[in-house]
Amino acid sequence: MAEKFDNLEEHLEKFIENIRQLGIIVSDFQPSSQTGLNQKLNFMITGLQDIEKCRTQLHDIHVPLEAFEYIDQGRNPQLYTKECLERALAKNEQVKGKIDTLTKFKSLLISELGKVFPEEMAKYKAIHGDDPPS
Amino acid sequence: MTEIFSTLFGQSETQVPPASSAIGFGPGKPPPPLPQSQVSMPGQMPPQHGDEGPALRKPGVMNEPFYLLRELPAGNDLTGNTNLITHYNLEHAYNKFCGKKVKEKLSNFLPELPGMIDVPGVQDGSSLRSLIDKQPVCGNSFSPLTGNLLTGFRLHTGPLPEQYRLMHIQPPKKKSKHKHRHHRPQDPIPPETPSDSDPKKKKKKRDDDPDRKKKKKDKKKKKVRITAAEECISWKLINAGGAK
Repeated sequence: MAEKFDNLEEHLEKFIENIRQLGIIVSDFQPSSQTGLNQKLNFMITGLQDIEKCRTQLHDIHVPLEAFEYIDQGRNPQLYTKECLERALAKNEQVKGKIDTLTKFKSLLISELGKVFPEEMAKYKAIHGDDPPS
Repeated sequence: MTEIFSTLFGQSETQVPPASSAIGFGPGKPPPPLPQSQVSMPGQMPPQHGDEGPALRKPGVMNEPFYLLRELPAGNDLTGNTNLITHYNLEHAYNKFCGKKVKEKLSNFLPELPGMIDVPGVQDGSSLRSLIDKQPVCGNSFSPLTGNLLTGFRLHTGPLPEQYRLMHIQPPKKKSKHKHRHHRPQDPIPPETPSDSDPKKKKKKRDDDPDRKKKKKDKKKKKVRITAAEECISWKLINAGGAK
């Protein structure tokens, strides 16, 4: 799994470095650097070809669009992961609270109904047996 | 007309009610009374329709007073009752991202990336969103540029116009600031001050500093030894006096 990403990362790094060098050549262009520029342009194309090849290995990888929004805003995308985990934990705690409350309510309701409708509740218990705590 | 009505009415009387209504599925209404021929006997399984409603736990006759009794959910389902982060082995990720402060800027995540990457991408049209919304028009393959095609990339000599130079400007790194802070206490006196008439003397002082410290330490050690020896002697004398 990690090899796929390492491969892509390596190609991306090479591509970015090539673009950086291209930028330096272009920023103060001299007639003698035309051959170097042509070479860099073709390196850029081979770099794009290499990145294109990595696409087949990564077709099953899904990136959430929200992560892109973080990147577009110049923010660390790890913050998105952090917020997702925090939200998941908070929701998990909320749901657990609801389940615990409803379980308590259920046991209380059964005990109170048992006092008011003892026969019916005896039948209910006979059908359901001892309900596992849900 | 009346014949048709009577035939319809007769049909409706003799119509077999669906099994679901016989066992009381519905919005809280009790089941309608069945004709005697249709009432299922105790111990008989009533016919059930698979997709007409929720499954019952037991046949309707056995659930006699409870016509809305349903199957309980299976207890082994994964719910919010369990800690899902530990269930999916994400404790390490949680501790990594939520245990310590994650740095806000994109340049902290991609420190090696050149250019001003902390600036919102909308400003310079480099956002990933725009790449998705307006996909670039390109062919299926990348082919290298031949001699004729490369003639289109002949550039004018000289530096770039100012508006295109932004790419090479790097954001100020915090590491260098830390380095400066470290240097400051080591170099308390700025190098170019009017009182720098005798820099040799100051250098000498700095060089002598470790020797002085050593001397001070030795003096302290000697003092400690002397006081300890004095204490020992006085203690012995007191003890000797007490024994007498």
